[in-house]
Amino acid sequence: MGRAEPSGGRPLVEVALPGVPGLGGLYARGLAASARKAVGARVGALGIGGRARGAFGAGGGLPDVAYLVRDVRADAERLTEYQHLLGESASDVLPAGFVHVLAFPVATALMTRADFPLPLLGMVHLANRVEQRRPVTLGDTLDVRAHARGLRAHRSGTQVELVTEVRVSGTGADSVPAWRGVSTYLARGVRIAGLDTSTPDVSDVSDVSDVSDVSDVSDDARSRDRGGSDTSRERAPTSHVSDEARVGDRGGSDTSRRSAFEPPLPTGQWRLAADVGRRYAGVSGDVNPIHLSAPTARTLGFPRAIAHGMYTASRALATVGAARTDAFTWSVEFAKPVLLPGTVAVRVAEERDRFEYAVWNGRSGKLHLTGDVVPH
Amino acid sequence: MTDTYLNLVNTGLTKKLAKKLGLPRPVPLVRWKPGQPLVAGPVLVVGSEHSEKDADAVATTLLEWDLDVRRTVEPGQRYAGVVVVLTGIQHPDELGGPVLSVGGMLREQLAPAGRVVTLSRPAVADDAPAVAAARQGVDGILRSLAKELRGGSTGNGIVLSDGVGVGAPSVLGALRFFLSTRSAFVDGQLLTVDSPAGSVPQDWERPLVGRVAVVTGAARGIGAAIAETLARDGATVVVVDVPAAGESLAQVANRVRGTALQLDITAPDAGERIVEHAVKRHGRIDVVVHNAGILRDKLLANMKRDRWDSVIAVNIAAQLRINEQLLTSGEFTHEPRIVSLASTSGIAGNRGQTNYGASKAGVIGMVRATAPLLTAFGGTANAVAPGFIETDMTARIPRVPREVARRASSLQQGGKPVDVAETVAFLVSPAAGGIVGRTLRVCGQNLVGQ
Amino acid sequence: MAAPRTNSTTPSGAPRPATAATPGTTAGVPGPLAPRRAVVVGGNRIPFARAGGAYVRASNQDMLTAAIDGLVARFGLQGERIGEVAAGAVLKHSRDFNLARESVLGSALSPETPAYDLQQACATGIEAVVQLTNKIRLGQIESGIAGGVDSTSDAPIAVSDRLRRALLDLSRARTTGAKLAAVAKLRPKDLAPAAPRTNEPRTGLSMGEHQALTTAQWNITREAQDELALASHQRLAAAYDAGFFDDLVTPFRGLPKDQNLRADTSLEKLAKLRPTFGLGLSTPATMTAGNSTPLTDGASTVLVASDEWAAAHDLPVLATFVDAEAAAVDFVHGKDGLLMGGAFAVPRLLARNGLTLDDFDIVEIHEAFAATVLSTLAAWEDEEFCRARLGLEGAFGKVDRDRLNVHGSSLAAGHPFAATGGRIVATAAKILAEKKAALDPSEGDRPVRALISICAAGGLAVTAILEAA
Repeated sequence: MGRAEPSGGRPLVEVALPGVPGLGGLYARGLAASARKAVGARVGALGIGGRARGAFGAGGGLPDVAYLVRDVRADAERLTEYQHLLGESASDVLPAGFVHVLAFPVATALMTRADFPLPLLGMVHLANRVEQRRPVTLGDTLDVRAHARGLRAHRSGTQVELVTEVRVSGTGADSVPAWRGVSTYLARGVRIAGLDTSTPDVSDVSDVSDVSDVSDVSDDARSRDRGGSDTSRERAPTSHVSDEARVGDRGGSDTSRRSAFEPPLPTGQWRLAADVGRRYAGVSGDVNPIHLSAPTARTLGFPRAIAHGMYTASRALATVGAARTDAFTWSVEFAKPVLLPGTVAVRVAEERDRFEYAVWNGRSGKLHLTGDVVPH
Repeated sequence: MTDTYLNLVNTGLTKKLAKKLGLPRPVPLVRWKPGQPLVAGPVLVVGSEHSEKDADAVATTLLEWDLDVRRTVEPGQRYAGVVVVLTGIQHPDELGGPVLSVGGMLREQLAPAGRVVTLSRPAVADDAPAVAAARQGVDGILRSLAKELRGGSTGNGIVLSDGVGVGAPSVLGALRFFLSTRSAFVDGQLLTVDSPAGSVPQDWERPLVGRVAVVTGAARGIGAAIAETLARDGATVVVVDVPAAGESLAQVANRVRGTALQLDITAPDAGERIVEHAVKRHGRIDVVVHNAGILRDKLLANMKRDRWDSVIAVNIAAQLRINEQLLTSGEFTHEPRIVSLASTSGIAGNRGQTNYGASKAGVIGMVRATAPLLTAFGGTANAVAPGFIETDMTARIPRVPREVARRASSLQQGGKPVDVAETVAFLVSPAAGGIVGRTLRVCGQNLVGQ
Repeated sequence: MAAPRTNSTTPSGAPRPATAATPGTTAGVPGPLAPRRAVVVGGNRIPFARAGGAYVRASNQDMLTAAIDGLVARFGLQGERIGEVAAGAVLKHSRDFNLARESVLGSALSPETPAYDLQQACATGIEAVVQLTNKIRLGQIESGIAGGVDSTSDAPIAVSDRLRRALLDLSRARTTGAKLAAVAKLRPKDLAPAAPRTNEPRTGLSMGEHQALTTAQWNITREAQDELALASHQRLAAAYDAGFFDDLVTPFRGLPKDQNLRADTSLEKLAKLRPTFGLGLSTPATMTAGNSTPLTDGASTVLVASDEWAAAHDLPVLATFVDAEAAAVDFVHGKDGLLMGGAFAVPRLLARNGLTLDDFDIVEIHEAFAATVLSTLAAWEDEEFCRARLGLEGAFGKVDRDRLNVHGSSLAAGHPFAATGGRIVATAAKILAEKKAALDPSEGDRPVRALISICAAGGLAVTAILEAA
């Protein structure tokens, strides 16, 4: 399942960073930059990052750079803590979610660039897709490469995909990465003129979330539409569903998938303590304030702290366990954030050739996330 | 249960005070421990006219037991025991000689915890009146003398039925029992030896080796003490109690290295289950001690049917049924022994205990009629009637009546469960085969009743 | 030491090859590889107390020692060196790392009796019997005491991870500064204790919630559950009244019988109880405190031996421990219900022994919940399930309710996790001995068998066959 570089043919300038940046610093930087970008974007100006651009080029308005960090190594203690927190076996094989948190700061650094068109803070994680081609183990020296792509309009703002590739050092930059993640983010309320609104970029994941859902979790009265996340497309990622369907999805005119979501028999239940966000932040480095505490989350428009999306998806992956094998594709679509503390119903079950999972509110039946793990 | 008064009158200032005030001054009784000598000092053997031969035989026996035997009162000599042989006595005139010779030494020369034992014959209708008078006179002497003894000393008598010689196993057994500290709380009693049956054990210290004994109500108190004492004397013990008492029953079983049988003795097949357990686990059944009993006191005017019935059911009806099943089992045939727990209430009666008194008097009657059924197998049945014994049961008696009951005996104190147990152990021993259907009181010569 | 082979009149101690198995056959002859048989001599347990009840201050060691001492008293084993004592607890203090051995040392057994701990969730008790009888069959030991104990009243309380880490750092710290640093990390809430949870670690669901899902899956009604619970109480009460437990139970701490037993309960009373499990799940909530086992404290023991040992000690032989089979289900991925392991183990066990459900005089299925038993029965009667999941040609079979948990089970007695196996094995062995003794002459010397199935956390189950000796 090799994948073409989805950069639209535009050559990327590879920028080598001296090391994996710290996310705390990135968020601090991002906070300031985000404020500027957000103001600019919301008023419809094209002044991004303090310098105007006439139009978006082949890169779709994204910086034409790929960040590269070489010789990244996992820390055994942090790995162990991660494994304990997520319920993974304490194996020397890095869980796919751990590779994500290892590489995530490189992608984040890209998003804090002055010329990145969207504000980092308040960005919503819509979906994530990881392809694990072969195991990455503790002790491997890793090269992490990240670039952005697929900037396009979303019903509720603008979405972008961050592509991160992890190769074991020395396997060659052209080789198929051992691990490849595509994270889809949404900048709420950010509109950038001239963006394609109907056809997505060649993408591994679709836009999946209703932003208003995310920003106002307590409001149940508003109609919800998770948008084009139909699983048939997910199961055949290389074939596109019709544009009509997508448009319909995004237009919110059809019955939403979530309202159609019929809670199945759960196979489990997660009682998520108030400090789950802080604990995951501790092992992932993702100290985004929306996850840390109710006060910090409120400053960004959430009534309480919300669980990291990747925490919930990684727990589902851990629950699949060894049956995922060494090589697999792991996808998730986030529908509605999980407020902390909270208890959610979970189903992780084998369906034909894959494990499907869903996390929902056991009482209201509302979906938080769905995804699957497909062994290769 | 601690006898505070007993402690007070035996220590320090309160001891002096009690002496000055002339208060009753009970002394702590000396009780038997394995390895202790049979008698801790010289034993004086005296005989009446016409009893010299028996007195000589007794003296010879005591010598065989390695005792220091003296035949005359020597000035300044302390005696641990006195045996007064009156078996040949013909006339009350003959009583004065031996009795007075002993009387003169009792105050100064009888050691603390000393023992006085009389050997005599029963007064029966066939006797010449003078002989009967003399024989019955022993009864009065013994009971009165026992009340005069102090310092934990006791007086008891052995009554030898016609045809029973002083060398009969049960006479020897009773003599040893009364001379030793095993009988610490038995006082003022006359025990009849009915026949020369029984056998002298190979080892007087462990007369029950090879015997399998069942003790009911063995979870605590007197029953537990009986189990321990029988085990000490060599028996393999099956302890029985109601299932609800199983926890302490198990502890007793483990202490005596026996087996616990949780069983309600009022169950219709209780006897069969006892026999089955004993025979299957231990190969035989030789001794059954009916100790289980309950109290449901009420004045007769207020007595309800259930209180009456339950006491009768547990204390006597169950024993009758179990005995019947023992006797018909075909297993209870090796010099079997039954000892049943009666009570002074069954002899003297007690206010509020018509039901209990009926059951315990019933026990006395039962053993009298059961023993003859066992003689064919060399067996016997007897009863033990405890007086005031310090147990959980008597601890529940209100303070004042309890204190009165304690002092209302020649020994001026309550007995301990082990005192009852020692008596039971004697009665189930091989030597006691000639004691047939009797009831022996363990009461410190309680002032009530016979 | 290798004891001589038993001249067994009722052989069947040996599993036969499945190929030789013929359903419905009577007791067979031991196969060529058959070791000698192991027998159940008897058992002893303390009455089971409700959590916070009669044993609130008693530790696992206290209770296990009491259960062993009662067994010793019943069978006169004072000072006896038993081949091995194997026992365990599900909820265990770290200080109890040698629980079985410490209990032996505190008991009336010979202090030279070896012992070891084992743990297999709620199957701990029966697994102890399986292991010891296997050792007996191999001639490694002549006698064994299998035990299990659990206290929910004296459950271990752990400190929080942060406090534990700080305390460990503190103990390693050499300098005052390092010590202060270790303590300085602590926050007030770190001092709060972490209560033990019996939730399934991988699903986060409690056992009751898991069963609620299975209950819904098998459409087990509230009424059917209540009826089973009622039968359990009535049968256990009747057995107590008949004196059945007189030689199986020794009171402890003043408790004469199982504290959870409600002889006077009724369908009306059971129907009034509110559902307690599965409330947060999108399934009908039918499981109440009445048709689910309560948290319980208690201990049980089983005396197992070779025939030779039992005979040498003049001890009775109640039953042969014939064979056992464990199973586990993948509940994590929702394939089967957490407590449905028995539905899988029993068909395998019976196939190996050439038996069918009809060959059993009694069937003991641990009543973790009434619905657990009913779901298992439903599964065995379900053709589709038996074909798809058990690989059978049709339905496995039906269990006659008159043969099911005939003297009550965990719903009435309670369920101190590791103690349940011993309770069931000893109870079943005694029932078998009684049934065998009461066989009508017309039935000849037919084998009298018991089937035992005990489900456990983690999707586990251990099942076993006993046969009257």
